[in-house]
Amino acid sequence: MGILFTRMLSSLFGNKEARILVLGLDNAGKTTILYRLQMGEVVSTIPTIGFNVETVQYNNIKFQVWDLGGQTSIRPYWRCYFPNTQAIIYVVDSSDTDRLVTAKDEFHAILEEEELKGAVVLIYANKQDLPGALDDAAVTEALELHKIKSRQWAIFKTSAIKGEGLFEGLDWLSNTLKSVGG
Amino acid sequence: MSGHDSKYFSTTKKGEIPELKDELNSQYKDKRKDAVKKVIAAMTVGKDVSSLFTDVVNCMQTENLELKKLVYLYLINYAKSQPDLAILAVNTFVKDSQDPNPLIRALAVRTMGCIRVDKITEYLCDPLQRCLKDDDPYVRKTASICVAKLYDINAELVEDRGFLDALKDLISDNNPMVVANAVAALAEIQENSSRPIFEITSNTLTKLLTALNECTEWGQVFILDALSKYKAADAREAENIVERVTPRLQHANCAVVLSAVKMILLQMELITSTDVVRNLCKKMAPPLVTLLSAEPEIQYVALRNINLIVQRRPTILAHEIKVFFCKYNDPIYVKMEKLEIMIKLASDRNIDQVLLEFKEYATEVDVDFVRKAVRAIGRCAIKLERAAERCISVLLELIKIKVNYVVQEAIIVIKDIFRRYPNTYESIIATLCESLDTLDEPEAKASMIWIIGEYAERIDNADELLESFLESFPEEPALVQLQLLTATVKLFLKKPTEGPQQMIQVVLNNATVETDNPDLRDRAYIYWRLLSTDPEAAKDVVLAEKPVISDDSNQLDPSLLDELLANIATLASVYHKPPDAFVTRVKTAVQRPDDEEYPDGSESGYSDTPANAVDSAAAPSSSSNVTHAATRQAAPAPPAPSAPVPDLLGDLIGLDGAIVPVDQPATPSGPPLPIVLPASTGQGLQICAQLTRRDGQIFYSMLFENNSQIPLDGFMIQFNKNTLGLAAAGPLQVPQLQPGASATTLLPMVSFQNISPGPPSTLLQVAVKNNQQPVWYFNDKISLQVFFAEDGRMERAHFLETWKSLPDSNEIAKDLQSVVINSVDVTIDRLAASNVFFIAKRRNMNQEVLYLSAKAPRGIPFLIELTGVVGIAGVKCAIKTPNPEMAPLFFEAMEALLN
Repeated sequence: MGILFTRMLSSLFGNKEARILVLGLDNAGKTTILYRLQMGEVVSTIPTIGFNVETVQYNNIKFQVWDLGGQTSIRPYWRCYFPNTQAIIYVVDSSDTDRLVTAKDEFHAILEEEELKGAVVLIYANKQDLPGALDDAAVTEALELHKIKSRQWAIFKTSAIKGEGLFEGLDWLSNTLKSVGG
Repeated sequence: MSGHDSKYFSTTKKGEIPELKDELNSQYKDKRKDAVKKVIAAMTVGKDVSSLFTDVVNCMQTENLELKKLVYLYLINYAKSQPDLAILAVNTFVKDSQDPNPLIRALAVRTMGCIRVDKITEYLCDPLQRCLKDDDPYVRKTASICVAKLYDINAELVEDRGFLDALKDLISDNNPMVVANAVAALAEIQENSSRPIFEITSNTLTKLLTALNECTEWGQVFILDALSKYKAADAREAENIVERVTPRLQHANCAVVLSAVKMILLQMELITSTDVVRNLCKKMAPPLVTLLSAEPEIQYVALRNINLIVQRRPTILAHEIKVFFCKYNDPIYVKMEKLEIMIKLASDRNIDQVLLEFKEYATEVDVDFVRKAVRAIGRCAIKLERAAERCISVLLELIKIKVNYVVQEAIIVIKDIFRRYPNTYESIIATLCESLDTLDEPEAKASMIWIIGEYAERIDNADELLESFLESFPEEPALVQLQLLTATVKLFLKKPTEGPQQMIQVVLNNATVETDNPDLRDRAYIYWRLLSTDPEAAKDVVLAEKPVISDDSNQLDPSLLDELLANIATLASVYHKPPDAFVTRVKTAVQRPDDEEYPDGSESGYSDTPANAVDSAAAPSSSSNVTHAATRQAAPAPPAPSAPVPDLLGDLIGLDGAIVPVDQPATPSGPPLPIVLPASTGQGLQICAQLTRRDGQIFYSMLFENNSQIPLDGFMIQFNKNTLGLAAAGPLQVPQLQPGASATTLLPMVSFQNISPGPPSTLLQVAVKNNQQPVWYFNDKISLQVFFAEDGRMERAHFLETWKSLPDSNEIAKDLQSVVINSVDVTIDRLAASNVFFIAKRRNMNQEVLYLSAKAPRGIPFLIELTGVVGIAGVKCAIKTPNPEMAPLFFEAMEALLN
């Protein structure tokens, strides 16, 4: 019975695309993460003026990943992408302690959005390879994640350059989405 | 009514836009593509789908080329209306400009150039830079055009990023398409820039010439246009360039042909070898002729260009005149242009053939065409001396057809032919005069009148002919009036008999007093003054030998022609106007200072050349317009011309050839004129006036001052019957008076016109009217001294004889109480100045006794004896005269003179 149920679920999700937004301040590493997830390699990037969209197949889930530019001038247009979003990957540059406050403010502003009420939140404490990067506990503190109520969230230490922590996060995401979908 | 009605405002139906929005965000690719197609469809029919901007842009990152193109199309359309959101597309452009597919790279860079949104231009520079160095020529050529577009949006950015150098590098590209587009882009940028950006060097020249043979036809046009701006170092280089370009003349595309012709024409200027030039001319003829077998519209463009070409190099098409013969079914605009070129190509060799053609055209139905054909005959006559006679005989034949407009056109050109060949063909004047009555167009009338005036001495009834025109003088257009004026003056100078004398008075009066046209008035005044000053001089001026004219109509100014030739195959060569005359550009360049020197080629009409030009040497016409206005503004002083008017009239009436010094001041010197009509009485109009005598003539010297708030014009004067029958000899010459302005005039007077019966009186009643005010009446005094004639001097013996012969009853004496004689000599001089002549004096005790004589009108002598003591008031004046009833007037006059 349990095996059958799992199969049903997987077949259900295998056909479905999950819409995921990758958000975060500029220079947090969103585009690098996107292409690391999609192609498995590090590409050289320039600031994203606009967006990138790629499809990532993982754990039988097809993620349609929207990487939105993080520059101040583009942040106001994030909301154009909010509808029908299942999950948000919020990327934080753990070494950029100066702007953690800004990152926190933007993050909580997103959580307030009506259209994102049902979205699960995955936080990448990125750039762990850099010296002086805060660990996940410190980032949790800085982003005041404990304030999140009635929403599933998780935080992972990542390094996009090294490819560490990304797929662990994606595992969590796919499982969470499956359970939500179930 | 309750809150239930609110349901009408919220509908459950979603409407088209939200539906499309849903579809655009669908997870299925096919559905999204269909949705974008629907959006584009809505856009093309004019529905506003700009609210879907982000949703459409979100479909931009796709592998599907068709979908991508559609989204790009949408972007080009709506980026301007959503400038903020347009930024969302930037990243996709950047990605697409690096796409492995060159078509997508080119598409991205092309679309980027088309999106004219300031906010995103700087993001496009990097992709553009990459694309300019792309491996694929298609991407490079697209990118080079994009540079020109970007330059238009932000020139500084283009220069800072070094795109201009990149473009110049592309001229050396191995792909001819890229070269052509780089040239086109540079040429366009150069047009919008004041700095020299694109200059062809000998190095790039070779590159361009090589690319020329390989690129597309439009690419060839760009390269040829660029080459035509190249200044070859010497004749040799020019020859080489031309040689490389000549094969282009055979191209099927007429734009290529015309550009090649332009390029060759410009380089030919440097080529010195006549053989080479002749050869080139021979080579250029067939392609130009071929252009005339195309559609009428292309023919027209070709003809306009050929018109310029034959002005510079007539030899090219000298033998091809037949292709310019009009076909019956040519559109009128083609026919007109062909005529123009036929005239330019007409020569002694082909004139017979051409005349046959013209004659046939002159009998067609289209009036404009017929007129132009008739003019063409005349212009050929002027151009070709040896063919003039044949042309004239054709014209005469045409006049015999008696078609009104043909006759009128013929007369216009015949006038010019007379100007060109003086004293050659005047025998046909009689034929012309037959059609006099049918003339109803101003230009024809003016021409005919000019002919009559010019040849007045050969036309027996010239005065009658002119007189018939004079009747309608005031109604004629200015052109005709001017000619009538000049012709009448000529007639008068040639035949100074009674008829012309009267005519000229009428004309001068009409042309000065009755007209508002400053040109006409100025010319009339100049003639008037000329005639009054020195009729012989007038003859020298008015009847001077005129310079022979040549046919320079529709001939362009050489510098303009140069500029137009450099613009062959562009709109400028069709309009015959320099490009900056009709293209406005935001250019920081300094405007050419000599711009104004260009006459408007197409409008310099034929009629401007002849009679007017020469006659205006005697009477400056249009130029005086300006100075007139200027002087009027500068000083409200009375216009100078009014002064000599009466003198002339006097001359005309008396024909005594008296010369009035021209510099004589208009206002009488001496004491100011007495006020006869104060401003308080005349509603602001003040008149000062006095009778005065000058050069044997009596004038009423008047000063008008307009102190009212309105301009006054149309002044007229009338004198009541008076003792001496004084009346105005001519109309009052007072121009319109602006508020605050004043004018003086000398009104010529005649006497014994309307004598009042009754005892002699000094009373002179005057009425003055104008168009704005009621009639003003005022009284003035007749001063007899103005009547004293210059020939009133008597010999002593004659004086004594007359004195004795008159009975004593004719001797009247009066004591002039207020008069003091301080010096006998001074008194004698002063009296002599007023035509009271000294005869003798004697001393009686301490009293001085002076004998004088004066002659009143009608030759009545006055013999005068003045007795008084020097320095003591009171002089006894005794006179003897056959008309003693005039004595009171005389005493008044003497009192005035001696005071």
